[in-house]
Amino acid sequence: MFLDIFLTVSRGIALTLYVTLASLLIGGILGLLLAAGAQSRSRIIRAVVGSYINIVRVVPPITWLFLIYFGLPQFAFKLSTLEAAVVGFSVIASAFMAEIYRSGLLSIPVGQREAAWALGMNPMTTARWIITPQAFRVALPAIATYAIGLLKDSALASTIGVHEITYYAQQSAKQLHQGLISFAIAGVLYIAISLIIAVISRRTHLMLRKKIGVA
Amino acid sequence: MALNLGSKTSPIPISGGVHVSRLGKSYGSHKVLSDVNLKMHEGEVVSIIGPSGAGKSTFLRCLNYLEVPTEGTITIGGARVCAEEGTPDKASLEHLRKVTGMVFQSFNLFPHLTVLENITLPQRKVLGVSKERAEDTAHQLLKRVGLPDKAKAYPARLSGGQQQRIAIARALALSPSIMLFDEPTSALDPEIGLEVLAVMRDLADEGMTMLVVTHEMHFARDVSDRIMVMGDGGVLETGPSQQVMSNPTHDRTRQFLKAVLDR
Repeated sequence: MFLDIFLTVSRGIALTLYVTLASLLIGGILGLLLAAGAQSRSRIIRAVVGSYINIVRVVPPITWLFLIYFGLPQFAFKLSTLEAAVVGFSVIASAFMAEIYRSGLLSIPVGQREAAWALGMNPMTTARWIITPQAFRVALPAIATYAIGLLKDSALASTIGVHEITYYAQQSAKQLHQGLISFAIAGVLYIAISLIIAVISRRTHLMLRKKIGVA
Repeated sequence: MALNLGSKTSPIPISGGVHVSRLGKSYGSHKVLSDVNLKMHEGEVVSIIGPSGAGKSTFLRCLNYLEVPTEGTITIGGARVCAEEGTPDKASLEHLRKVTGMVFQSFNLFPHLTVLENITLPQRKVLGVSKERAEDTAHQLLKRVGLPDKAKAYPARLSGGQQQRIAIARALALSPSIMLFDEPTSALDPEIGLEVLAVMRDLADEGMTMLVVTHEMHFARDVSDRIMVMGDGGVLETGPSQQVMSNPTHDRTRQFLKAVLDR
């Protein structure tokens, strides 16, 4: 019985990971563009980016998912449940990641930019070789924390029918009347995945600190 | 003023020297720097001294446009920028920064790069030098600043004095026409500061053109050819080092020197 439920719920691991990692990746790239936009010289671009980040962050994730899955077809096109989940979480992740990058950028002393400029590096070279690598190291723990948050939020994708961990836990709870075991197993799986993310992040962090003594 | 050809070529025939004329900077109506003039010939060492708030660092930082001057013209090693002509184009700005090397009070080494990479990256990205050549240059310079065995270390593992010597090597790697030093020993305790000053002395002896903002009066007197004294955003006086130190013409200079030397 236990094994059956475990095997059933485990079938959700693939899509839980898929939704989490795909959204983190897409959101991470969009977040870079947003962070760049937030540094723009144009006041209009800064205002647009600022509003986007604020609006995206204050609307609950489940509202975003419903808006995209149930709302979008009314005036545009219908996405599959999985597509809707990845789009929704990518949008949300982009705003949070932009904020994480921004705090990373703010932590780099102005002397770093000045030294690069004084050496004749242009703004692109400075951003690519001096600022971004340092900002990334500073941002790494916050990114890992956010990745774990996103992993937990991905359970919401079950509400639009994505076959991830919580979805299967619900199914087996209903069919076998084993709510406690089903959701307990789901909980343990989330803990296990979180631990893996935490360990990877911690290792990377320690490695960088040992090497360069910062971050 | 009709043609902007001025920023491309130097009309002044001192190729390796420095010519700064009527440099000024103001924030709105607040003037922080006014009418600073300086001519240096190749190989000359000039120290800038004066009380804090005098505009010494601001002046130095205007020379490579880390601060944007609002008036005046800067000509260094073939690069020429005129503040009245508005924001310089990218090429002139990068040219100006290529011919000036700067050493900061807080070193500003790149902490995520090894010592070797700190010195090679600018060469490769700014001068387009190959990795091998950049490393050759870096190793030579590390020998020159007395740290040949630190190539693989990260800056955080080095003392302040070592970091500053690396910063000097990093700037030298681009073969600048002039080295600008912005209080290079102020963040170091006096004993450690000596090893940096020793490297600077060697540089001066080797004929490097140097402009040094400093509170090290011995260095100013013994190593520099001339001393420029600044106060209240302007130049109080400029003269041969010995003369300025022992027989200053300006009351404000006398007052400042007395305060510093009586410590």
